[in-house]
Amino acid sequence: MTKPGQDSFLLFCKIVQVISESRGTVRKTDIFADYLSGLGNTSDIDRAVRFAGEGAFSSVSGKRASIGSRTVALCAAEFCNIDYDIVFKACRTATGSASETIEKLMDNIPEAREKRTPSALSLAQVEELFIQLEKERKRDAKQALLVRAWEQMTSTEIKYFIRVMGQGSLRIGFEAKSIINAVSKAFSSDTEAVRYAHMITGSLGEAAVLSFENRLHTATFKLFQPVAFMLASPIESRSVDHITDYIAEEKFDGMRCQIHAQGDTVMLYSRDLNEITNSFPEVVAFFKQKSLPGVVLDGELCVFTDNTIQPFQLLQKRMGVKKPSPKMTGEYPVVFIAYDILYNDDEPLFEKSLINRREILKSFCDTFGIMRSRQFEVKSREQVEDMFDRALAHGNEGLMLKHKQSTYEYGQRRKSWLKVKKPGGSIDTVIMYAHAGSGKRGGTYSDFTLGVSVSKDDRYEEEFIPIGKAYGGYTDVELKRLNKEMKKLIVDRFGPTYSLKPGIVVELEFDDIQVNKRTKAGYTLRFPRFKAIRWDLAPSDADTLMDVEQLYNKKLHDDRKPQSEHQSFIGI
Amino acid sequence: MLNYTLERNHGIILPNQNIGLDVSGDVARHVFVSHAHADHLPRDRYIHVYATQATARLMRARGFKGDVTELDFESPLELENARVTLYPAGHILGSAMVGIESDEGHTLYTGDYKTPPSPVTEGFSRPESVDYFITEATFPLPIYKWQPHEELFAEMREFAFKALKEGFTPVFLCYNLGKAQEVMHGLAPLGFTQQIHGAGYELCKIYDELGYDIGKFEPYSRDTVSDNRILITPSSSLDQPMLRNLKRKRVAYVSGWATHESRRTQLTIDKLFPLSDHIDFFELLDLCEALNPKMVYITHTPNPRVVSHYLSEKGIASRPLNMEGFDDD
Repeated sequence: MTKPGQDSFLLFCKIVQVISESRGTVRKTDIFADYLSGLGNTSDIDRAVRFAGEGAFSSVSGKRASIGSRTVALCAAEFCNIDYDIVFKACRTATGSASETIEKLMDNIPEAREKRTPSALSLAQVEELFIQLEKERKRDAKQALLVRAWEQMTSTEIKYFIRVMGQGSLRIGFEAKSIINAVSKAFSSDTEAVRYAHMITGSLGEAAVLSFENRLHTATFKLFQPVAFMLASPIESRSVDHITDYIAEEKFDGMRCQIHAQGDTVMLYSRDLNEITNSFPEVVAFFKQKSLPGVVLDGELCVFTDNTIQPFQLLQKRMGVKKPSPKMTGEYPVVFIAYDILYNDDEPLFEKSLINRREILKSFCDTFGIMRSRQFEVKSREQVEDMFDRALAHGNEGLMLKHKQSTYEYGQRRKSWLKVKKPGGSIDTVIMYAHAGSGKRGGTYSDFTLGVSVSKDDRYEEEFIPIGKAYGGYTDVELKRLNKEMKKLIVDRFGPTYSLKPGIVVELEFDDIQVNKRTKAGYTLRFPRFKAIRWDLAPSDADTLMDVEQLYNKKLHDDRKPQSEHQSFIGI
Repeated sequence: MLNYTLERNHGIILPNQNIGLDVSGDVARHVFVSHAHADHLPRDRYIHVYATQATARLMRARGFKGDVTELDFESPLELENARVTLYPAGHILGSAMVGIESDEGHTLYTGDYKTPPSPVTEGFSRPESVDYFITEATFPLPIYKWQPHEELFAEMREFAFKALKEGFTPVFLCYNLGKAQEVMHGLAPLGFTQQIHGAGYELCKIYDELGYDIGKFEPYSRDTVSDNRILITPSSSLDQPMLRNLKRKRVAYVSGWATHESRRTQLTIDKLFPLSDHIDFFELLDLCEALNPKMVYITHTPNPRVVSHYLSEKGIASRPLNMEGFDDD
């Protein structure tokens, strides 16, 4: 039985607030575990854990309250009787967080206080509000629901109501891993078992319920329910003691994909666990005609023609296209290259070692004629470099090193998988705009729009045009100096954005260049980040759009070795 | 319209009265210093200025070598083209607002100020009404509304007491002139000795000698700081050896900026106390309304637009007075 008052949303919010104000994961975990153990029924445990770690709805439910942050902000401004453009935006820039801004306005503005009569909503009542928001399609009606919800809440409840509604983490330094620890502590379950249940069910709330009911053993893998992908760390970020404990594969420059297949049912899932089956009909057809026994494969989608893996830029033309035309699939045919197997013969394989899974994958792929990556023994660091060069010659991104004894660590980024990559390149750019940071960077200008020179380019009137937006790669000290120096360059201000005179040159590193017709430059950079702030350079030293175009063309037309020798994968 | 010129990045000059307000040097015949914070002090340390007695003492302690004519609060000084009156500003000890009456009208320049006033100041008072109101607006948004001092002091005492009881040194990060002494005053009832670093200690002595209760205090000492002491130090010392070497500590950040949750992770601290020595947004609007000026000039602010927006709703004209903001809170 839940103790009286223990199931109130306000108590949940207070606990979450205390967690956000506490330092150290152990302390945070203890506070939440203590709170959970006071909840006496499955529904409340499900709600509390879900709200803390997943959002209003289970992350595998596909449901969302579907109300944009702008709609919420506009609604809050109206509720507080303040001007959205002049007042609300300035406040949000100062705090770096819309929900925190709304909390303060709800507290400070007399009209907003008068409209509210906190009525001690229970977790169940708040869930009901989320369900109503999800069902309602019209924006006006959604706003009316929001207003009705806020009228019954304290400012702290409103803040967390908005954060929970946004799905995902509450951004209080208390993530899935800590929540799993708290669940296992609250209900005296094995942490590994809770983690496993989370991976299998895809839901923290459900894992908590299974833990509470002592039914963790019933959490079993189901076909056509995707599991979180295992992720790789950059090799530079980890210390590797014995390189020979790893095997190497070439790292395909494609799109990560999980395939679930059984007979003529085939489903494809992307890295963020969205279903992408219809986007790649040729892959689906390929797997259907094999009529496979139940299997889950982890691998990569790549455009493959002329016996050669084609650049990511060509695959990009297929990404996001929900129903590609036959012309498209003909021009940019996509294949799936498997590199891991997670389920086969009615048996999950996550707990098996990589070499074990590899044996199973090999025999499965060879039996049914499915492409699989080649693996190479690693004998020395020098040999890794040779393999790396060969991978690049194939047009691949670099190498993956995988620890032979590692299990499939779903959803985690540890050192069992390492990626060896080379930056795509770097260009010298100027800072054009500075944007107010959000979250932990609230109150500083931490995001920057960078531009390349077009002053000698007949296609443009401007001197500089944007090429990318970067918000990382600098140190705290550098950011402080940037914020100081940019003050001298401010020419205009639009809400959270400052327009700056060209003055600061940044060497911008990126993974790749892509064509993007919707931007002024016609190109975007993949994962741009600061490499160095070039205080020694002047804006006239910045690279030009022509330089970017040349780099792009070089990448696109660089010779790629076909798969006729030293193959990167087997089973064409 | 008020006749003024701006001294780049520093003070204001009223040319017809030959008056300089918080200016950097000898740019007017009569220079007034509102209070002893660095961004309001003249850079030229050898000029003649007018200031309150407490400000004069604090200025000298901070290295001012020039000549100071000390003025009492609310006793007017007659100059050739104006009558000047200092009003207690409630910001830090000695802080004054400057009222200037001349044939051009009545102008009030606030410097930095706070109402309700900080308990370790001479209080707050003001003229009934003015024609021109030159006000700072460091916290010009409706997200800023301060809790009463006593409420925050009680929370701070609880924080310090709990830390000491559990064997941790409570550390309060705050600016060493004004905020530090305000915090010490709030913590004084606990009866623990408070340690303060270097320059701050000399300033505390002045508060003490002028009769403000800031509790028992002594200079920072590495050997005794963990011995049931409370440590008061500026936030810039966070990454310095003094704090790095103090292993068992609980750190609080005391500032108007502590309103922002993001300061928690930016500074890695345990507790935020949004105690400010600047006026909050709501008090500012009320004060503008009460003074009923022809024009409000807004300085020291990141957001004059929001204040102007609200003032225009009340039918009060305003405009930004462009000076570089300085965050000393």
